[in-house]
Amino acid sequence: MRTVIGICLAVALGLSVGAGAQERGVTGEEVVIGTSMPLSGPAAYWGAVGRGMEAYARFLNDQGGVHGRRLRVVVRDDAYLPPRAAANVRELVERVGVFAVVGLIGSANAFAVRDYLVRNEVIWITPTADASMWYGFRDKKYLFVTYPSYVEEAKILVDYAARQLGAKTVAVFYQNDLYGQKGLLGVKQGAVRSRVRVVAQVPYEVTQAEVSSEAVRLRESRADAVLLYATPRHGALIVREMARIGYTPRLLSSFTLGDPVMFALAGEAWNGVISTAFFPLPGTGDARVDQALAVLTRIDPALRQNPFNGLAGWAFMEPFVEGLRRAGRDLTKERLVQAMEGIRNWDGEVIRGVTFGPNRRQGINRVFLTRAEGGRYTRLTDWITYPVGF
Amino acid sequence: MTLAAQYLANGLASGGLYALVALGIVLLYRSSRVLNFAHGDLCTLGAFLALSGLQAGWPYGAALVGGLVGAGLVSAGFYHVLVRPVREGTVLGLVITTLGFALFLSGAMAWLWGTDTKPFPSPLSDVRVYRLGGVVVSELSAGSLAASVVLVGLLSLVVHRTPLGLAMRAVAQNPVAAQLLGVPARRVLAATWALAGVLGASAGVLLAPALLLDPFMMLDPFLKGFAAAVLGGMDSLAGAVVGGLLLGVAESLFAGYVSVKFKATLSFLVIVAVLLLRPEGLFGRPLERRV
Amino acid sequence: MVRPGPGGVLREGSGLSPANNQPRVELRTSYAQDLRLVSGWTGWAGVVLLVGILAGLPLFAPRYVVYVATLCSVHAVVAVGLNLLVGYTGQISLGHAGFFAVGAYTQGLLLTRLGWGFVPSLVASAATSALAGYCVGLPALRLSGPYLAIATLAFGLAVHQVLVNWEGLSGGRSGLFLPELHLAGLSLRDERVLYWVVLVVACGLVLAAVRIVRSYVGRALVAVRDSDVAAEMSGVNLTRYKTLAFGLSALYAGVAGALMGHVLGFLEPQLFTLFESIYFFSMVVVGGLASVPGSVLGALLLTLLPQLLSGFGEVLNVLYGLVVILVLRFEPGGLYSRWLRIQRYVRMWPL
Repeated sequence: MRTVIGICLAVALGLSVGAGAQERGVTGEEVVIGTSMPLSGPAAYWGAVGRGMEAYARFLNDQGGVHGRRLRVVVRDDAYLPPRAAANVRELVERVGVFAVVGLIGSANAFAVRDYLVRNEVIWITPTADASMWYGFRDKKYLFVTYPSYVEEAKILVDYAARQLGAKTVAVFYQNDLYGQKGLLGVKQGAVRSRVRVVAQVPYEVTQAEVSSEAVRLRESRADAVLLYATPRHGALIVREMARIGYTPRLLSSFTLGDPVMFALAGEAWNGVISTAFFPLPGTGDARVDQALAVLTRIDPALRQNPFNGLAGWAFMEPFVEGLRRAGRDLTKERLVQAMEGIRNWDGEVIRGVTFGPNRRQGINRVFLTRAEGGRYTRLTDWITYPVGF
Repeated sequence: MTLAAQYLANGLASGGLYALVALGIVLLYRSSRVLNFAHGDLCTLGAFLALSGLQAGWPYGAALVGGLVGAGLVSAGFYHVLVRPVREGTVLGLVITTLGFALFLSGAMAWLWGTDTKPFPSPLSDVRVYRLGGVVVSELSAGSLAASVVLVGLLSLVVHRTPLGLAMRAVAQNPVAAQLLGVPARRVLAATWALAGVLGASAGVLLAPALLLDPFMMLDPFLKGFAAAVLGGMDSLAGAVVGGLLLGVAESLFAGYVSVKFKATLSFLVIVAVLLLRPEGLFGRPLERRV
Repeated sequence: MVRPGPGGVLREGSGLSPANNQPRVELRTSYAQDLRLVSGWTGWAGVVLLVGILAGLPLFAPRYVVYVATLCSVHAVVAVGLNLLVGYTGQISLGHAGFFAVGAYTQGLLLTRLGWGFVPSLVASAATSALAGYCVGLPALRLSGPYLAIATLAFGLAVHQVLVNWEGLSGGRSGLFLPELHLAGLSLRDERVLYWVVLVVACGLVLAAVRIVRSYVGRALVAVRDSDVAAEMSGVNLTRYKTLAFGLSALYAGVAGALMGHVLGFLEPQLFTLFESIYFFSMVVVGGLASVPGSVLGALLLTLLPQLLSGFGEVLNVLYGLVVILVLRFEPGGLYSRWLRIQRYVRMWPL
């Protein structure tokens, strides 16, 4: 019992340092932003987004920061577990004292911290969760999202499969969480509109190691096109497996698989896959994105293995940095919100066409389609827009 | 019919891999009654070490051997530093120590090799396939299955036909009596741990080309391997193989004909049902205790 | 049935670990003495101080600390309950996240669908999870060791998959959001109020556990652990006590799960994975088998560790693993056993 007292005291003292006087997370010299990511566990792959954010911040700081303030990114590991994410965010806000939370990966984790961040009026930039969690949600004053909607994206993919590829039937291979399920929902809605039939829905769990039976089930559906909502690993495994058992439908995938790493993981089988993208992919002839990637890999060579997620980190942070620039030296939360709301059709180095407004928090409402060919992606279509949802 | 055969073939292919994982678990459990939670991470470690060897320009065989030896040494080292000196330890304490070691290893691998998914080269092609009737089996999974059969044979030779194997069995049965009769029990145990590590690493290098390598690759195969070991009977090497194959086939058939969503639950329910009929697993020795 | 009597029970003598085999000799001669939790004025002063600090924590600590303390209390409840099963009865469960989930979703559904209040739904979730524990305990009559581990693991897995895939019941991966509750006019959304509520429940359950293990039920459980055949010979009904241990343990996990729902404000299957079960299990072992304060310590350490080390990023797992390894390497009996040694050292000083 007495040990418990001692430990409580020590911990209370240890945890209670911090907390600032003026605007939280802003001093004369720096702006602190925080994020919680899976750096370990089955989703650790996405953790590179945090590395990309850190590298981007270092790049900005080397140029003197924003209005003389350096950016400091504090990354916490949540192992993709909601309680850990909730604790991390509280720690970021109350102990580290961050000006804004940027990112946060996974819908479950975003749900776990939403109430807290909204009640405490913390600026929250681009949680990578499905857009539907914000539809009809009222308290979004401090939220700014530049991330595509899975549902709308799926409709665009189905439309393309029906009209350009002539598919009459489609099947969906999806991760059995909100990411995959919203993709599936979008496919079903799109199928009604585009008059195609959804002939198979094959889910998998993110912890699952192999997917051979799933591939056979997809083959048995004989769908003309298969849509993929998966992690890069499972995406690569399923296309390899389908190719092996002699099933070669047209393949379409969500933007999360529009990643150059897929060629290394899936090999030949990835050729011909059509995926969406919400920023120009590196190596598709967009000089500014190539330049941004060169910067990232120069600062953090490990991002060479994971260029897409590194750039995604940059893309999530970029509108916020633009907001900081516009808000001026005298930075407060309200000024930042005002500045962000003033962003109209703004192009960054990576993310393009960002628009916010007093009643608009969904910064982008468009994607374009790419096709994988011979180890690189080529752009297939111009931007395709969808209605702004929130 | 072809379809059923295809599901069966898929099940056998993944079952062979579960069996390989299960073997290492069983080998260790027989001799020390410890369920090694770090076994999966040792598998991954072997694969990463081999990959580093390849990247350093070693020939394929040398890199594989390097990976196996490396994992074996780490496993034996774990025994020497953390298991042997703990005299007052309980079995559960040891189990949780291996859990700590698993966390340590996975963290270290994420730190050293990064968390991104990596392709792992293999001399066997994943794309080249054999067709038997309408059933498709890739060279890689056929090769892995063959390799696991060979490994099981080798292992049973070691356990049943060599002095080391005899000593291992003696220590497994009664460590104190074995020691009194002059068997160097600690060295034998260290050898058992090393052998389990080597087995794990060979599972790792066989799995990595098929599953793609990252530090958390073995989470699911380890669990299945554990389940397979229990299904077969925790102290039977043959049981581990049969258990692995049965589990693989059950899973594949459930996924094909009943429900993809519940395939894991259904196959575990089968295991529980089997255990209720045979509490010591399919091939395990019936529980004998002195009261 | 024969009740194992109190005659000369040594308080610390029943630990699984031989590290405890030099108990402080405190011969007790009646049930009343055996059940007394606090003795002497130093004991009472300690209790008053402890209660004061725990209850007063939200008054001076930042809210983040209050949140972490709430999390610790919830985990402590699970760990204490699991220890009743693992440490005292010698049964293994790798499916406690399942009971945790049953409790959490029972309360969540009663609150959202039927509009029940906090207390009745908490009681209901305790009851359903205890029932689930009883059912899972039935196979345990035949299974032991790794075989039981797999059976319980299967239960945990099944609960998780049902929650993921039966969306009509659980909301699936979209989560189940809990309504804002009020107790005596105070909102449970306020982390200080929630902390107090969780603290009261946790303290109640921990004290109950202490009472249970010192009563004849506790002694029967220990007898089952040490030798089930001998226990049966002495009149301990194995079926009754094994299932009772499972039921009790699941009840603790269920109540903790219900509280966890309020801590996060929503429920999602990802909260109840195998990882969580293993995490609970390691709390018990690191804290010390067959020791209620040990479980509290284990829960504290393993809940605080990721928060205290969170600055280390991916190296966190390396350090976390190291701490677990080192604790068990140098104190195989767990944290509580080290505490007893320190206590003994201080008492014996300067010898």
